[in-house]
Amino acid sequence: MIKTISNLGSYVLDGIEQIGRTFNLLLIILWKILQPPYQIFPIIKQVYFIGARSMTVIIISGVTIGMVLGLQFYNTLERFGSVGVLGSAVALSIIRELGPVMTALMVVGRAGSAICAELGIMRITEQVDALECMAISPDKYLVAPKLVGGVISVPLLNFVFNVVAIGGGYFVGVVLFGVSEGSYVNGMIDSVLWSDVRLGLVKSIIFGLLITLICCAKGFYLHLSKYGSQGAEGVSRATTDAVVISSVSVLFCDFIIGALMS
Amino acid sequence: MSANAIEIRDLVVDYGSRRILTNISFDIRQGEIMVIMGGSGAGKSTLLRCLLGLKKPTSGHIHMLGTDICHASQAELYKLREKMGVAFQRGALFTSMSVAENIQLPLREHTDLDESTIQIMTRIKLDMVNMLPYEHLMPSELSGGMAKRAALARAIIMDPKLLFFDEPSAGLDPITSAELDELILLLKKSMRMTIVVVTHELESVFAIADRIAILGEGKLIQVGTPEEIRNSSNETIINLLNRTPRENNVDRDTHLERLTKDTQ
Amino acid sequence: MQCNLRSENDYDVLELGGEIDFHYSPDLREHILAPLKEGRPLLIDMENVSYIDSSGIASLVEGFQTAKSAKLAYGLLKISDPALQVLTLTRLDRVFTLYDNAEQFHAQI
Repeated sequence: MIKTISNLGSYVLDGIEQIGRTFNLLLIILWKILQPPYQIFPIIKQVYFIGARSMTVIIISGVTIGMVLGLQFYNTLERFGSVGVLGSAVALSIIRELGPVMTALMVVGRAGSAICAELGIMRITEQVDALECMAISPDKYLVAPKLVGGVISVPLLNFVFNVVAIGGGYFVGVVLFGVSEGSYVNGMIDSVLWSDVRLGLVKSIIFGLLITLICCAKGFYLHLSKYGSQGAEGVSRATTDAVVISSVSVLFCDFIIGALMS
Repeated sequence: MSANAIEIRDLVVDYGSRRILTNISFDIRQGEIMVIMGGSGAGKSTLLRCLLGLKKPTSGHIHMLGTDICHASQAELYKLREKMGVAFQRGALFTSMSVAENIQLPLREHTDLDESTIQIMTRIKLDMVNMLPYEHLMPSELSGGMAKRAALARAIIMDPKLLFFDEPSAGLDPITSAELDELILLLKKSMRMTIVVVTHELESVFAIADRIAILGEGKLIQVGTPEEIRNSSNETIINLLNRTPRENNVDRDTHLERLTKDTQ
Repeated sequence: MQCNLRSENDYDVLELGGEIDFHYSPDLREHILAPLKEGRPLLIDMENVSYIDSSGIASLVEGFQTAKSAKLAYGLLKISDPALQVLTLTRLDRVFTLYDNAEQFHAQI
C-alpha cells in the first residue's frame, strides 16, 4: 500500500519536473531566438521537413475525414429534412474543431515522433555535448528552429486540411448524395464567421507550439529522464511518451481554448 | 597568471547520493601533455566532463586559462570553449552532415573567414589525420577508426589552445594508434597546445605523457612524470601498470554456495 | 599582424610580421591576392612572423594556387621557425618553395 502511494508520489514529482523543464526550455528559446545569429535558413529547413513530412498524411486524412463528415451529417440531417445545411455543418466542424485537432495529431505522429527520436539519439551519442563544447548553444541551434518551424508549419498544414476536408464533404454530399451545390457552398459561406476561423487559427498555432515543444523536450532532455541510460530502448520509450503526451495535451487544450473563446 | 593552463582544486562530484570524485586537486601546465588514467569506475569520465564544463561539481574549483569554469556564466564559458577542442570517444560527429561539413561547423559559426579559406583549412586538417580522400562521406559510412580521426580534425580546426581526448586509441589498430600518438606530440610542439588525454592504453600513455595523473575510486592517487609513476610503490598503480587481474579471494564453501544458490 | 607591400622591378614583396590568426587572415588573403591579380610575381617575407595559425596558412595556400594558375612565381622568404613548425605540422613544408634570399627568387622569374 505504502509502496503504491510512494510510486504514485514519485510519478507525480517526475511529471512536475518534466513540465517545469519543458516550460523552462520554451523560455530559454524565446530569449535566445531574439539574439543574433538568427537561424533563418535552419527555420526554413525545418518548416520544409515538418510540412513536407506530413503533407501526404494530411491530405489523405483530410479528404477522408471530410467524406466521413459528409456521410454522417447527411445521414442525420436527412432525418430532420435539413440537408441544405450540410455545407455549414461540415465547414464549421472542420474549421472550428476537426481541422486543428486532426492536423496536430497527424503531425505528432509523422514529424513529432521523428523530432523526438532525432534529438534523443543526438543526446545519447554525445552530439549535443559536442555542440556545447564547440560553444554552439544546442538549444538555439537544434531546438529553436524546430520550434519555430512547428509553429509555422502546423497552421499552414491546417489550412490544407481544411480545404481538402471541405472538398471531401462536397464530394460525398453534392456528388454522391445529390445535395444541391448552391446550398452546400452558400450555406458554408453564410455561416462561417471570422470568429470561427479565428478560433481555428488560434488553436492550430497553440497546438503547433505545444506538440513541437513537448516532442523536442522529450528528446533533448532524454538524459535527465528515468530511461535516459537505456540507449536505444530509452529513445523509443521517450518517443512513445512524447506522442502520447502531445496528443492528450492537444485534446485537453482543445477543450480549454474552445471554452475560453466562446 | 601562472604557467598552469588548468588548476583543479578540491573537486567533489556526486551523482545523486553516490560520491564519484573526492577532493581532487592538481595542476596541468601550459604546453604539457597530461594523461589521466585509472581503472574502470575510477571517475575519469566524470573528471573529464567537469573539465569540459558539461558537469557542475558539488563543490570545488577548476581554473582554466584564468576562468573558474565551475562558477562562470554561460557567456564566459562559451568564450573559453572557442579556445578548446574536444575529441569524443565515439567521435560524436553530426550524422546529418558530411565529414567536411562537420569539421567546418565551428568556422562557420564563429568566424567570418572566406569560403575558400574554410575549404582549404578543412582539407589541411583532414590531411593531417589522413582522411583527405573521405571529405564528402557521411559519418554513417565511416569505420570507427575513421570517425575518430574525423572527430580529431574537427577538434583542432580552430587551432585550440586546449585539446581534450576521451580514449583516443580505443578501437584503433596499432599503426593508426601510433600515428595518432605522433600527431599528438607534433600538435603540442608546433601549436603550443596543452593536451589532456583520458585513456587506459598503456603503450600510448608512456609514449606521449609529460605527466600522468592516476585516479582510483574517485580519489587522486598520484600525479607525476612517467618515471615517477613507473617507480611508484603504490599497490593500485603497480597493479594497473602490470595489468594484474583482480584477485578473487573467496573461500571454497562460500563460493560453492554462491554457485548453487536457489537451484535446489 | 603587420603587413607591408613593397615593389621591386619585376616582382612584389609582402613583408609580414607579428601574429597571424583568424582575425587577420581575411586581410592577409586580400593582400596576397591583390598583386597576383595584377600579374605581379609575389615573394612573401616571413622573417618576422612570430605565430601563424592554419587560417593564415590557408591564405598562403590560396595565394600559391592563384599564382600557379596565372603562371606567376610565388615563394616564401626567410621563413621564421614558428611558421616553419606549423608548416611541417600541416605537411605543407614540401608544397611551398622556400627561399633564403630575394636573389634566388628573382632568378626564378
